[in-house]
Amino acid sequence: MSPGISDDNRKRLGRINRNFFLHIHANKVHPHSLKTGYTFGLGVILGFLFMVMILTGVVLMMNYTPSVERAYNSVKDIVFVVPGGRYIRNIHRWAAHGMVLVSFLHLIRVFFTGGYLAGRRLNWIIGVCILVVVLFMNFSGYLLPWDQLAFWAVTIGSNIAASFRELTDILGITQVLDIGGFIKKLLIGDETVGQAALSRFFMLHVIFLPVTLMVLTAVHLWRIRKDGGVSRPMEKTGGQGDNTRGEDKFFSWPVVMWAELAILLLTVAVLLVMAFLFDAPLRERANPDFAENPAKSPWYFLGIQELISYSAFAGGVIIPVLFLVFLISIPYMDREDRNMGTWFSGTAGRRLTWQSLGFSMLITLLFVFILVRYGWFRSWFPDIPQVIIMLFNPATLSALFYIIWAVWVRRRTGSSRMSAIALFTCTMTGFIIYTAIGIWFRGPNWEFYWSSSQWPVF
Amino acid sequence: MHEPSNSTHQSRRDFLRRFSVWAAIGAGVLASISLLRQFIPRLTQYQRRFKIGRVNNFPVNTFTYMADRKLFVYRDHQGIKAVSAICTHLGCVIKKSDEGFQCPCHGSCFNDRGEVLSGAATKDLPWFELKKDVDGQIVVDLGRLVPPEEKLYL
Repeated sequence: MSPGISDDNRKRLGRINRNFFLHIHANKVHPHSLKTGYTFGLGVILGFLFMVMILTGVVLMMNYTPSVERAYNSVKDIVFVVPGGRYIRNIHRWAAHGMVLVSFLHLIRVFFTGGYLAGRRLNWIIGVCILVVVLFMNFSGYLLPWDQLAFWAVTIGSNIAASFRELTDILGITQVLDIGGFIKKLLIGDETVGQAALSRFFMLHVIFLPVTLMVLTAVHLWRIRKDGGVSRPMEKTGGQGDNTRGEDKFFSWPVVMWAELAILLLTVAVLLVMAFLFDAPLRERANPDFAENPAKSPWYFLGIQELISYSAFAGGVIIPVLFLVFLISIPYMDREDRNMGTWFSGTAGRRLTWQSLGFSMLITLLFVFILVRYGWFRSWFPDIPQVIIMLFNPATLSALFYIIWAVWVRRRTGSSRMSAIALFTCTMTGFIIYTAIGIWFRGPNWEFYWSSSQWPVF
Repeated sequence: MHEPSNSTHQSRRDFLRRFSVWAAIGAGVLASISLLRQFIPRLTQYQRRFKIGRVNNFPVNTFTYMADRKLFVYRDHQGIKAVSAICTHLGCVIKKSDEGFQCPCHGSCFNDRGEVLSGAATKDLPWFELKKDVDGQIVVDLGRLVPPEEKLYL
C-alpha cells in the first residue's frame, strides 16, 4: 500500500464521502471504468481544462478592458507588458482549443462505446448541450482581442446566424418577417459588429456561458453516478451492469485519485509545452473597412463556413440543425442496450465503421471534387433559382447519401445500432473533411489551393 | 394535502396554495418577458440617411470607395449613383475588381451593375436612392433602394 494511504477501508470511504469536493466520486469504482483504452480519460481531461480556463481567465480579466477603444491595446499590454501575461494568454488559448477538440473526441468515444444506451439517454443529450456551450464559449472569446482575425471571424459568424434570410428571401417575406436579421441583432446587438457586440460577447464569455457550463457539468456528473458509473458491458446474468460485487471494485481513494492526478499532470504538461512553443495569434487592430482575405472563422467553424460557401441557409442552418437533431435523436432511434460498453459493439461494428469511413470519404470528396473542378449549378446554368442550389449542393447531397447508406445498413443488418454507427461515422467523417478543406485548402476569395504557398500575392 | 373525496368545495388553504403557485408562475413569466426584452437592442450606431459631400468631390467615370459608409459612389457626366460595398452573402466588404466587384471572404463576384456573376452570394448588390440637399450635398438613404440604372442627374 502506498505511503500515507490508510489500509482501513472505512477511512478510505470516509476520505471520499466526507469531502464535499471529492464526493462526486463513488466510494468504489468498477475496474472497467478505469481502463485507459476505454475512456482515454477524455471527460476528466475536459474537467481539468475547464479549471485551467477559469484560473487563467480570471487572471486575464484583471488586465482586459471590454471596450472597442481599449480592448486591443489591453490585450497587447497583456502580451507585451504584464509579466507572464503572454504565457497565461497562450495557456488560455490552447486550453480553449483543447476543450473543443476533446469535447468532440469525448462525443466520438461515448458514441462508439454505446454510452448513450440503457437509460443514459438524458446524459447523452446533456453532453450534446455541453458541446454546444463549449463551442459558443470559444466563439465569444474569439472576439475579445478585437484584432482583424477576431473582428472578421465574428462578422462572418454573426452573418451565419442571419442566413435565415436566404429562406425568407426566397419566400419574399424578408421585409415583413426578418428572422435571420433578428437573430443576428440579438447576438451582436447592432447591425454590424461594434461595441454592443463586444459588451454582449464579454458578458457571455465571462459570466453566462461559464455558469451554464458549470451547471450542465454538475448535472452531467450527477447523472453518471445515478446511471451506475461509466458505461460498461452488461453481464449476461444481471441487468444494468451492477454485476460486480462490492469486493471486486476498487476503492476510489486512492485508486481513482492516482488516475486523475496522472491525467491532471499530463494535461497541464501538454498545455505548458504548447503555450511555450506556440503563441496565440494577435494581428493588427480590427479594421471594419478592410476585410481579411481570406476571412476565416475559428477553425471549428470552418467546416460550416465551407458549407455556407455553397448556400448560406443550407450550410448555416439546415445542416447544423439536422446534425444536432441527429445527435439528440440517436438514443431514441437506437435502443439495443446489449451493445453498451464495448468499442464499436464488436467486430461487425468495427468493420462497418471502416466501411462507412471509406464510403463517406468517397462521397464527400467526390462532390467537393466536382465543385472545385467543374463548378456547381450556377456556373452551368446562370439563371438557376437559388432554392435549387439551397436544396441541392455538395453538403445536402452528401447528407442524402449518408442517410441512404444508413438505411441500407439498417435493412441489411436489421440492427439500429449498426445503422447509427453508419450514419454517425459518415457525418463525422464529412464534418472533418469539410473542416480540413476550410482550414488548409481555401485561400483568398475562398478559392481552392493545394497549399497556402500558392496563394496569389496582392 | 388532499381533502376527503366526498368534499366538493375547495378548502381555503387549498385555494391559497394553488393561488400562490400560479401567482409565482405568472410573476415569473411576466418578469422574464420584461427582462428578456432588454436583450433586444434599441440603441444603434446604424445611420439610415447621411450626407456624403458634394458631387464635385467625386472623380468622373470611376467608382469611389467610401470606407466609413461602406459604399461605392459612381459618377459620370450625367449623374451620380451609389451601391452597397457589403457582400450580400455574409457581410464582408467587397473590393473593386476589373469586371466589377469581388468579395474576399467567399469569392462572390459582381459586375458593375452589382449583379451576381459567380460565387456564394445570391442577391445582387443594392443601389441606394440619392438626393441633393439644399446645401448642395448628396444625401444617401439606405432605406430606399433603386434600380441600377437610376441616378441622380446633375
